[in-house]
Amino acid sequence: MRAQCMRRTPLSVILGLLFLSMTATSKCLGKYHELLLQLRRQADLMQDTSTLLDPYIHIQGLDTPGLKEHCRECPGAFPSEDALRGLSRQGFLQTLNATLGLVLHRLTALCQDLPEAQQLVGLNIRGFRSNIHCMSQLLRSSSEAETPEPTQPGPGPTPPPTPPSDAFQHKLKSCRFLHGYHRFMHSVGQVLQEWGESRSRSRSRSRRHSPCRAPGDTALARPCRGGARRTWPFRRDRRLMPRGQLPR
Amino acid sequence: MLGHDPLFVFPKDKLVEEGSNVTICYVSRIHQDNISCYLEGVQIYGEQLDRSVSAFELKNVSFIREKGTNVFCKVDQGGVLGGIVLFVSKVLEEPKDFSCETQDLKTLTCTWDPGSDTGLTKQPSQSYTLFESFSGKKTLCKHRNWCDWQVAQDSQETYNFTLLAENYLRKRSVSILFNLTQRVHPMTPYNLLPKNVGATEATMTWKVHSIGNNSTLLCQLELLAEGKVIQQSNVSIKVNGEYLLSELEPDTEYVARVRCAYTNHFWKWSELISQKFNTAEAAPSEAPDVWRNLKMVSGHPTVSLFWKPLSKVHANGKILFYNVIVENLDKPSRFEVLSIPAPASSTELTLDQCSYQIHVTAHNSVGPSPASVIVVSGDPENEEVEQGRVNGTEDGFSVSWKPQSGDATGYVVEWCDGPQDLPCVLQWKNLGPNTTSTVISSGDFRPGVRYNFRIYGISTKRMAHLLEKKAGYLEELAPSDNPQVVMSRLTSHSFTLSWKDYPTESQPGFIQGYHVYLKPKAGEQCHPAFEKTVLPEDSVCCKYTIDNPEQKTFVVENLQPESVYEFIVTPYTSVGEGPLDAFTKVTTPDEYSHTLIHIILPMIFCILIVMIICYLKSQWLKEKCYPDSPNPYKSSVLSLIKSKENPHLTIMYVNDCVPDAIEVINKPEGSKIQFLGTRKSPTETEFTKPACLYLLPTEKNYSGPGPCICFENFTYNQAASDFASCGHFPVTPQAPPHQLGPLTSPENLLKALEQNYMNSLGEIPAGEANLNYVSQLASPTSGDKDSLPTNPPEPALCSEYKMQTAIPLGLASAPPSENSSLSSTTLLGQGEHCR
Repeated sequence: MRAQCMRRTPLSVILGLLFLSMTATSKCLGKYHELLLQLRRQADLMQDTSTLLDPYIHIQGLDTPGLKEHCRECPGAFPSEDALRGLSRQGFLQTLNATLGLVLHRLTALCQDLPEAQQLVGLNIRGFRSNIHCMSQLLRSSSEAETPEPTQPGPGPTPPPTPPSDAFQHKLKSCRFLHGYHRFMHSVGQVLQEWGESRSRSRSRSRRHSPCRAPGDTALARPCRGGARRTWPFRRDRRLMPRGQLPR
Repeated sequence: MLGHDPLFVFPKDKLVEEGSNVTICYVSRIHQDNISCYLEGVQIYGEQLDRSVSAFELKNVSFIREKGTNVFCKVDQGGVLGGIVLFVSKVLEEPKDFSCETQDLKTLTCTWDPGSDTGLTKQPSQSYTLFESFSGKKTLCKHRNWCDWQVAQDSQETYNFTLLAENYLRKRSVSILFNLTQRVHPMTPYNLLPKNVGATEATMTWKVHSIGNNSTLLCQLELLAEGKVIQQSNVSIKVNGEYLLSELEPDTEYVARVRCAYTNHFWKWSELISQKFNTAEAAPSEAPDVWRNLKMVSGHPTVSLFWKPLSKVHANGKILFYNVIVENLDKPSRFEVLSIPAPASSTELTLDQCSYQIHVTAHNSVGPSPASVIVVSGDPENEEVEQGRVNGTEDGFSVSWKPQSGDATGYVVEWCDGPQDLPCVLQWKNLGPNTTSTVISSGDFRPGVRYNFRIYGISTKRMAHLLEKKAGYLEELAPSDNPQVVMSRLTSHSFTLSWKDYPTESQPGFIQGYHVYLKPKAGEQCHPAFEKTVLPEDSVCCKYTIDNPEQKTFVVENLQPESVYEFIVTPYTSVGEGPLDAFTKVTTPDEYSHTLIHIILPMIFCILIVMIICYLKSQWLKEKCYPDSPNPYKSSVLSLIKSKENPHLTIMYVNDCVPDAIEVINKPEGSKIQFLGTRKSPTETEFTKPACLYLLPTEKNYSGPGPCICFENFTYNQAASDFASCGHFPVTPQAPPHQLGPLTSPENLLKALEQNYMNSLGEIPAGEANLNYVSQLASPTSGDKDSLPTNPPEPALCSEYKMQTAIPLGLASAPPSENSSLSSTTLLGQGEHCR
């Protein structure tokens, strides 16, 4: 199986590089609404559990009573919908980009478990991040005449590989991670929906709030333990910190 | 080891082989009893070692998935979960069918069947290692079912290979010992090509990969036609192969294929290489099978020529056209050539009474076939041959005939494939001169269809003569329909049934006769000629069998008058009879009805004659019986009088009358009389009823009843009751007897009327020329109240008379006499009392 995964890796790497080069060289859509519509459609696609979570549960044998209910997102692993809604647009995009970067990294580790689905989802994530980049450029160009955005800290360093846990824990953690990923993309879709409804309001809020830094902790890789909660450092503003707290 | 987990299950990620027994334990820190453990969602039960430790023994575990078998324990209501993944590997199998061979004596390829893959998340798939004991070399195989081994350059001939399969849990090995030259499997030949392809020959060439130096290969060349191997040849070659294929069929597709083996020691044939090719065409090798059908069209003998397409074997190519050469035998110099393009298989020739020899040849791109010759004569065929019967079997019709007296060169059996009502697709079969029977089979033959066969003998002059005719059914069936029966000559004791239009030849079997079923009236016995039978619906019936299929009439006799019978006529074949479904009802008449008919019909005829005569003589009758204007001389009264021969009765002529007075008495209903003096139109004079004429005396004092004469006015069709109403005539007592007398008698009255009538025709005397003529008036159809007289007449018992009356103009305007107590009007003076 590992050999199989290794055989697939070059293809996925090639496709990924090809996609990234396309995003780097291709011109961004200059129309806000078209770009937003594309992002929303991609978010809708990525929140579909049949692309990742459902096949994973089936392959790992987790679709049995007593196990399936433990395949739930760990609180704090991904930003909650409220937390995303509380971000400025630039902050939202940066958070989204950073989170998806970590997801992509984690999916690579899942290559052995979901070789085919991982490849397809990886392509989707790369395309989505390309559109995030374009949207960020579009917003930045429109807000340059206004208040300049503070420099956003990039995503933190890639979390070190977690110490090898037993296979049972690994199954559960991966399952929870995928569950959280789909939920997160659902929240992203909701926020993007609101963007389309009121751009001006979003702009004013964007000016009002200070930007936040991108996530960079290792919450995604941590096991989900009862009662443990982590905060998502979206903003430097302490006043907004509670809003960044991850949902259960 | 336990860490901080509240529920710790172990051993973690254990790898075992399928069928192993595994013990799993958990240690709980929460010291609760409600901990359940599950294997793939199914609860398992173990042994509790102490308050916080339990052990579960899993026996004979089986492989479930590559990702491992999930075993977990949980606190029932606490959400605490602990588990392990048990990796169960399939048992590593020994490699099967391990063998090695070489195609070029340079590389050995070893293959085997690896069996099940034992790869898991925890364990990679089994690996394979090839070890050669003589050289001591080994190689790790990259593939799970084959491995290449480079042959040593030191001319090692014998090899002892051991194939080792291993995974984390087990090792398996298998060995073989062989000589290299005995494991040569040559590569597939290449460049197999046909060369110099003719109609019956072709040369095949091919090449092989060389094996070592000067090695020889044995190659096998196979020739296939229609998927079957028809030739096989072995050729020894080094590099280039060549072989001449002969005895091929023209215009035929063949497949040649070649495989080779190592000559020094046969181990395996190489893979096959195949090549298709077609041989060239040749002239058709056989004459077409020709037959003819003679018939007269518009008085001219016409020959329809038919021929069968040549088989592929004999056509030797694509037939392009057929040549038909017609040679007049009576005038040998006359030829006629027809070229008929393929795929036509027939033509029609109009001939005269001469004999003709017809040659038919088939042509392809190479040339013509041998000619098929047939001789026909313009004379009509002899059809006076009795038709026999032929029996059908599963194989077809077995037709036999008497051999032709004389020298016959052969026989032809001719038939039509389809039913008689369809256009004939003429079929024939040529048979040798010594043959007197054959079986005619066809996939188109159907049960219940009549087929007709004609057997011809072919003379030495190639002329056909009809020998026999036969008809038969592949399988006879019962008739599906009954004939349309016409009933006639119905009497009280018999009737006749007829079905002359029933076609026996188009039935699904040979009609052997007919059954006449007759349902008698209740209680009636069958006639002795009939047979009592029970119908399928359990009703009793009388059956009469007609065993002559040509008899299509039947008289049912000995019936009861005024009875209802039901009958049906159904044909029967050797298989059965027609359906007994629709009986026809017939009711016999009574015995005298025909007698009555003999009487009534002439009577009706006579009445009709009389009516016609009456109609033709209607004018005569009209004048005789009811003229438009009554003529007293023609009146029936005269005949009445004459018939009674009453000497006292006569017609009263007006000239004989001395008019005294005529009083017309209006009817009580208010009828009125308009006089000329009033200058009213006569048509305005109204009478409600036909009237009687009253002859009134001039005496004013007369008031009692007196004689009264009432004339029936035939014009107005006076009713008899009106006569009866004439109860009295107010006759004046002083009237002179000579005047009164004649008027009192019918004769006199009629005479007077006659005279008056004659006067009205212009015989009026000069002294009376001043009289106005008053015609009779019909009763008004509608009353005019305004024109009614101011003094309407009093009701009177007698009616007025409306005879034509001569009225003096001078009196016309005279006022009514006061003596007319009955509101009558005095019209005439003395001496003019007759009308």
